[in-house]
Amino acid sequence: MIAFVAFSLRRAWQGLWHNRLMSVAATATMVLMLALLSGLIILLTGLDATLKYVEQEVQVVAYLKDSANPQDINLLETAVGQMPQVTEVSYVSKDQALKDFLGRHPDEAEVVNSLPANPLPASLQINLRDPNDYLDVATYLRNQAPVDRVLNIKQTVDQMVTVIGILRAVGIGVLVVVGLIVLFIIVNTIRLAVVSRADEIEIMRLVGASDAFIRWPFIFEGALVGLFGALITIAVLWLGQGPITTVMADYFKVLPVEASATVGRDVALVVLGTGVGIGVLGSYLSIRSYLIR
Amino acid sequence: MAMVSAASSNPGPNQTRLPGTPDKPAGKPVRPRVVLAMEGVTKSYPNGKIALRGVDLIVPEGDFVFLVGPSGAGKSTIIKLLIRDEMATKGVVLLDGRDLARLKRKDVPRIRRKIGIVFQDFKLLPHKSVRENVAFALEVTGAPRETIGPVVDRVLRVVGLTGQADQLPGQLSGGEQQRTAIARALVHNPRLFIADEPTGNLDPLISWEIIQLLLRINELGVTVLMATHNAEVVTALRKRVVALEDGRVVRDQTEAAYHRED
Repeated sequence: MIAFVAFSLRRAWQGLWHNRLMSVAATATMVLMLALLSGLIILLTGLDATLKYVEQEVQVVAYLKDSANPQDINLLETAVGQMPQVTEVSYVSKDQALKDFLGRHPDEAEVVNSLPANPLPASLQINLRDPNDYLDVATYLRNQAPVDRVLNIKQTVDQMVTVIGILRAVGIGVLVVVGLIVLFIIVNTIRLAVVSRADEIEIMRLVGASDAFIRWPFIFEGALVGLFGALITIAVLWLGQGPITTVMADYFKVLPVEASATVGRDVALVVLGTGVGIGVLGSYLSIRSYLIR
Repeated sequence: MAMVSAASSNPGPNQTRLPGTPDKPAGKPVRPRVVLAMEGVTKSYPNGKIALRGVDLIVPEGDFVFLVGPSGAGKSTIIKLLIRDEMATKGVVLLDGRDLARLKRKDVPRIRRKIGIVFQDFKLLPHKSVRENVAFALEVTGAPRETIGPVVDRVLRVVGLTGQADQLPGQLSGGEQQRTAIARALVHNPRLFIADEPTGNLDPLISWEIIQLLLRINELGVTVLMATHNAEVVTALRKRVVALEDGRVVRDQTEAAYHRED
């Protein structure tokens, strides 16, 4: 058994080396697909995290008029705090709002400093016991004198859910297509390897080699292409994770979310599994026709 | 004189046996002393071409048979049926008592190990040395590593290539290449040795060396079936001659010569 595996691996390696150029091409295609796959996973994970944050944290934001009387604001804060639907109210002053904004986006300091006045409004940030109570609280707030407008977070959340759903569907669709293309390329690569060694296969059949001895070296060859592709993809992701996080954070500027690094292990496992899986499937499909006789 | 000990089915690497003795007392002994039996074998192809028409052929153990006939007469088809590359449309092909039509797919490789076969074009792997080419037949059939070396040494001695073991096929003469192929065909201790035009690419002198080698293998007890156009060889050896024409056996004579119409 060990001898068989060693034999198959040795022959698989010889095969890859023999067809270096095609092996590189197949591996590169594999990397491309796996990169797309991991990109999609990271993106969706980020969006999901954002969604959770939005849902859990602030649920109603009431922006206050700059002209509002501080006493009225105090009264309003107390009143809202006593509403049965509300768990927590906090007041964010204009200065605090600016500080928070600059904390999240230090690059914008110059722009902000060049403005004649602080453009950000003060706000009341309200947490609800049940998100479905949103309308009651929002209606109440809209009728209060100090309130300028009420940010409809629920609507934003609903929009995000839709966007994420569409992204997921489109992403999976694209992945399936790319996956099929990669499979096709792998099948062709391995088939070329098979054709280039048709003599060898013929000899193997003539001297009485069993199908397993003919098939497994090619299966290992496909698996190796998948493995190398996966390792390269993981390495690229590893090297790129710093810049990627920055880009992601930039992209999600509107919300204080950091692209989580804990997805790394899961992504690596998915990439590894998909790469090896497609490699094996591709080899299996291309060698099959040679064995049915 | 013992020759080779094959890898898998044999008792052990050092225990030699006379080639040609059955592996075991067969469960269903269909004429145990007959290596090859074809009865009423017809082979037709989907395109309507009929390659064999009711061929009967019995080859007892130890026989040396020339298979002659013009191109397209059916020689290659018989060989393809024997190595079970193809199946007979009608009739029965028995190899060492086994009905090839009833063979399970997974048993095909095992039955092929009972056949040693060489071709006009040698079919050697160019990037492997003589020794590696011969060892390859054992490696790919799962022979234990430690048994491969001794078996390869033995068959190389039989064909007289011990000195060239580490050369590549490209560095060898045609005759040496064919002897490498013969050595490879012997590693599994075959019941039947098939030579398909083995001298087709060789000049007369070298051809005779190869024929001498096949005769020696036959003397060691291996049944030999040789498809050939080489009239000189056939006539000189006075062995059994089976002549095919248009898919039929038109002549089956012992101690025969080559006929012009063959």
